[in-house]
Order: sequence, then C-alpha cells, then structure tokens
Amino acid sequence: MTENQAADVIIIGGGVAGLSTAMQLAGRGASVLILERERLGNGSTGRAAGLLGQLRGNAEHTRMLIDGVAIVKELERAAGVEIFVQTGSLRIAETPERAAEIASLVKMGKSIGFEIDHMPIGEVAERMPYMRTDDLVDACYCPTDGHLQPAELAGAYIKVGRERGVRYQTNTPVIDILIEAGRVRGVKTANGDYHAPVVVNAGGPWSYLNAELAETVLPTAAIGHYYLTTRPDLAHPVDRFSPAVRDRELRIYTRPESGGLIVGIYDAEPDLHDMRKLPPDFDMSRMKAARDSIQVARLIDAAHQRFPWINERTAMTITTGIMTFSPDARPFCGQMPDIEGLFHCSGFSGHGIVQSPVIGLIMSELILDGKSSYDVKSIEADRYFDIPGYMERDDIEARCLAMAGNYYGKVERAQSVDSSSPSLVGRG
Amino acid sequence: MKILVPTKRVPDTDQKIVATADGTRVAVDHIPYVINPFDAIALEEAVRIGERLGESVEVVAVGIGGEGYEQQLRTALATGAHRAVHVVCGQTLDPWNVARLLRAIVEWERPQLVLMGKQAVDDDASQTGQFLAALLDWPQATFASRLELQGERIRVERETDHGIETLNLPLPAVVTTDLRLNEPRYASLAAIMKAKKKPLDLIDAEKLGVTIDPRIEVLRYRSAETQRRCERVRSVDELIERLRNQVGAIV
Repeated sequence: MTENQAADVIIIGGGVAGLSTAMQLAGRGASVLILERERLGNGSTGRAAGLLGQLRGNAEHTRMLIDGVAIVKELERAAGVEIFVQTGSLRIAETPERAAEIASLVKMGKSIGFEIDHMPIGEVAERMPYMRTDDLVDACYCPTDGHLQPAELAGAYIKVGRERGVRYQTNTPVIDILIEAGRVRGVKTANGDYHAPVVVNAGGPWSYLNAELAETVLPTAAIGHYYLTTRPDLAHPVDRFSPAVRDRELRIYTRPESGGLIVGIYDAEPDLHDMRKLPPDFDMSRMKAARDSIQVARLIDAAHQRFPWINERTAMTITTGIMTFSPDARPFCGQMPDIEGLFHCSGFSGHGIVQSPVIGLIMSELILDGKSSYDVKSIEADRYFDIPGYMERDDIEARCLAMAGNYYGKVERAQSVDSSSPSLVGRG
Repeated sequence: MKILVPTKRVPDTDQKIVATADGTRVAVDHIPYVINPFDAIALEEAVRIGERLGESVEVVAVGIGGEGYEQQLRTALATGAHRAVHVVCGQTLDPWNVARLLRAIVEWERPQLVLMGKQAVDDDASQTGQFLAALLDWPQATFASRLELQGERIRVERETDHGIETLNLPLPAVVTTDLRLNEPRYASLAAIMKAKKKPLDLIDAEKLGVTIDPRIEVLRYRSAETQRRCERVRSVDELIERLRNQVGAIV
C-alpha cells in the first residue's frame, strides 16, 4: 500500500454532498480522498436547478439553510465566482387551501423574524408579466431567497478543497467496502484498495448500493426528475432577477435561466430507477427523455397552465436526471449503529444543492467531534434503522415513491416553531 | 395531400457507443433507440404542413425493421403522424435496399411528397433519399433548410457552401431535410392519448415483392480513439512551455 492510498477520510461520490464534506474536513486538517465513479459534479449535481427556499416548517432546518447562505457567500469570495443569485421567491395559491398554506407560512416566518410577506396579486402580475396571475387568490414573497448555481458551487468546493489538500480520484468506482470486526477499514476499487478509518457514503442515487456493499440498508430510492429550460424569447422576456416561483397546486417550480425560464415538476407519478440495472459506464449528463415521454407531457401541460406561452412546440431543452429520495424527504447524515466509521450523507430528495453548504459542516462535525452544533435529530442516518417496512428494497421504494409523488401535491400547514416534532412544511 | 415520412430507428448517438471487441457489431445493448434526428425533423415539417393546410393533409410515418421499431413509430404517432406503417423485416439492410422497399411503399401509398432526413446518424450514408428519387424517377431536393408548398409545386431552400440555393420542384417529389429546418416538438398529453387510437399497420417485407440483395457488406467496426489524458499544470507559463515544447501546438 502506498501512502497515496490512505487517508483519514474516504468519501464515495464527488457530488456537492461529498465535495462540501471534503472541503470542511480538510479545513480542519483531515486528509481526505474523494473517489468518484465518473466525473466530479456530473451526477444529480449536474442536473439540478438549485432553488433555494430558506423558510422550512422546521426552525432548525431554516437555520441550517440561512447559515448555508453565509457559507456560500464565503465560498464566493474564496473562489471568485457568483454562486448565489438572489432573485427572491414567490409562493402562489390558486385555491383557499393553498392560500391557508401560505398564510401559515408567512405567520411562522414572521414569528422567527424571517423576511416574508403576502404580495398583492396586482404586484405579482406587474413583476412577472410572463406568468398567468388571473386565477391566483394569494401569494407571498421572500426577498432573500433565490437559487445556487450548481456548477459554480461544485467548482468552488473543488477549488477550495484542493487548496486545502483534498485529493480527487475520478473514474474510480468503489466495488466494495472493507470491514473488519464491525469497523470500516477502507474501500476496494479496480485500482486497488484504499484505506481509511472513516468512509462517507455520498453516492447520491447510488448510495443504497454502497450501503449494500457494507451489508447494511439505506432507505433511499432513485427517482426520475424533469425540468424544461426555454430559450430566450423576445415576446416573453424573463429578467435575470425575476423571482423563483413555487406553485404547489400545479406541482411546479420555476426560476430564470439565461434569458429563458426553468420549469420543473414534482410529478404525481414519478418514475423509479433501478441503479443496479444501469450500465456500468452510465453518465447522467447523457440522460434524455423520449419525445413522447408521459412525464415530459405532464411537465409541459403544467407549465402551460401557469405560463400559457409554453407548449409542446416551444423551443426548449428538457433536462432529466435522478434524485435520491428518502421516505420523509430528509437526508441521512451520520453514522450507522452497525458499522463503526461508516457515515451516510445522502437522500437529499431534490435539495442536495442548497443543503450541501451546511451539510458539509455538519458532516465534518459529526466525523471529527462525534456531535454537531446543529440539532441533527431529524436527519440522523439511523432513524429508520431496523424498523420493519424500511428494510426491504420493495417497501423502501414504495415509500420513497409515495413521498416523491406527494411532494408538492399535499396541502400542509406550517407548525408553530416551538413544536418539537419536525415538520416538512415549506419544502421545495 | 399525403406526405410519407420514412423514419429510421437508430441508437441515440449522444450516448457512449463502442464497437464490440470482435468488431462484428456496435455494442448497443444499453443504448436507448430514437427516431433518427433528421427524420424527426422531416416528420415535424410534415406535421406543420398539415397544421397549416388542415385536414386535407395526411402524414404517414414508415419504419422498416424488426420488432423494436414499434416504439419509435408510436413516438411518431404521438408527435403528429396520422398513421404509421411498419414494414417488418429482420434482414440487414443497406440504403439501396431500403430505397427499394420504400419505392414499393410509395407505389402502394401514392403520396405527393416524401419527406425524410438527409441522412441517418448511425451510418451517415446519406443515400436513401437520393436512391428513392432515382428509383421513382421523381425530382429531388436534398438538405432542405426551408420549404414551402405552392400548389402543385414545392419551393426548397438548401444550404450550400456558397450560400442558400433555392429550388422549385413539381410534385410528387422527394425532399430530404437538414438540421436547421425546424425543431421537433415533444408530445402533448392529448397527443399521447390520441396516438393510442391511431392505426399502425404491419406489412411483411416479403410481401412487397422486393428481393433483398445487399450491395454493401460491413466488414468491421472499430471504436474511434478517444482516450484523452489529462494533467494538471501549475501555471500559465508551464502550460505555454508544455504546449510549445511537448505538444508542438505553439511555435
């Protein structure tokens, strides 16, 4: 074994989760090696829209996202790139139920001093002439939201990480996780074994297969996701700083992109991927939807209802990728009880980009200190461990599919901040 | 007016495609198949002509090949073809024989216009449209970047190295389509539903009275050398030094 093949921490997966964790660990002096099956930032990271909505139904999650923005601002200075585009964000309601959802969100936001308020429909129409507004009954606006540019974020993690000594090994799939006497020892690849007392599973959609290598179970599923990006259209100009919009009734989100508009959907009947059946050299950036894909048709149909100028003939690009959903749409971050030294960092359920800044910090704390300065109860890796119904692949996939399918659909109320039970409201 | 659109089923060439180790075929087991993108452009143009001229236009998509073809013809129906014809043929075909089979279909269907891609992205032969026009003794316009029906004639603009060439052809004619003609649509929900009820006819290639006699034999497939080596350089000076002295890219 050469010195190059040993590290304090080995991270499986070079997406934003692994890259952020590596950067934070290296910042505290750990030697870190990232093993990536393909190219850095080319999996789900490379297919993400990056919407940042800071206000969550759970106060701790809100704090995590707000702190994440501060980390991103530091990163922008360190790497000299623009990552955070502060466009502001809108939630819109077309039914009384959705209006009630917005009212409770505004009330909750104000109770913690978060900048959010109702916006009159007339003002929404004025700010977003390219959007249909005559059917809206309420809207709320948060000026400090926006989106993170995924490629710039990943690039900044890599740049700062490299300066801190992180080593990146690409085109190196991990084929086994080495365990001795209940302790992780490292990983096996086609290039030989790599040794470390800590291995982080940040494999995104492949994470559950990595868990299986260690003979444990990670209850995540690989769920297809679709969004469209229109070409710039002089008849419907979209300003670079137009607010992001979440329309939960239509299950869509949208943000400006290069003079056009991104519209994505949390489909009611998402498609499931079996990561084991994908070819070994699978490259997510080459995924393509068929011209008669039912998911694309539903996406275009929903987009058309909110933006009537978008239809199946609009000049646009369809982006399709794979998300890693968990049964409660929260990630798994931390150590499992059955194998010492094996940490999971996966299951971001469509929010990996925006959660990654603070998750890297939390992971580094959990790995180096054994505890975090955040309340991580709701994202603990073992919260479903050994629970019947969460151990078999079929059950797990059914639960994750149901969660993904209900993701925007279900009407929810924000819980009051002093509530101890974590809520999922404000997601998206 | 009837427009016939021959479509070829090809592996999606945006995927990583390599030859098998023995060189007898392309390893396409994991590769999704699509309608040849140039044919999809031809289909889109035919559908748009139909949308402009109304119900008098019938767009018929044709596919020649084995069982897997049905999926692409269903896509053609969902993206606007009125009906589809699947010529079932298990044999390996070259452009000449495809053109001969298409001639039989044209003689059966009697379209006023055959619109098809200028080439297929799998073999890039760019022969079938030309062969077909010759076999039918119809006028042809290849590599169309713009077209306009004018009564019994069709006006075609084609991109050449020297500029735009404009042709005017009497119908019936064969027109092959280039990349910039249009941008094919996605299927709408309503179109996907409607496509399920559209007719997809099967015709056995043997019944067309065409004896397949391949003129071209593929001897071997070989993957292009794409192995790139990357190295990290420390400074711009080092980059320039390496480009000058190692690669010879700068003199």
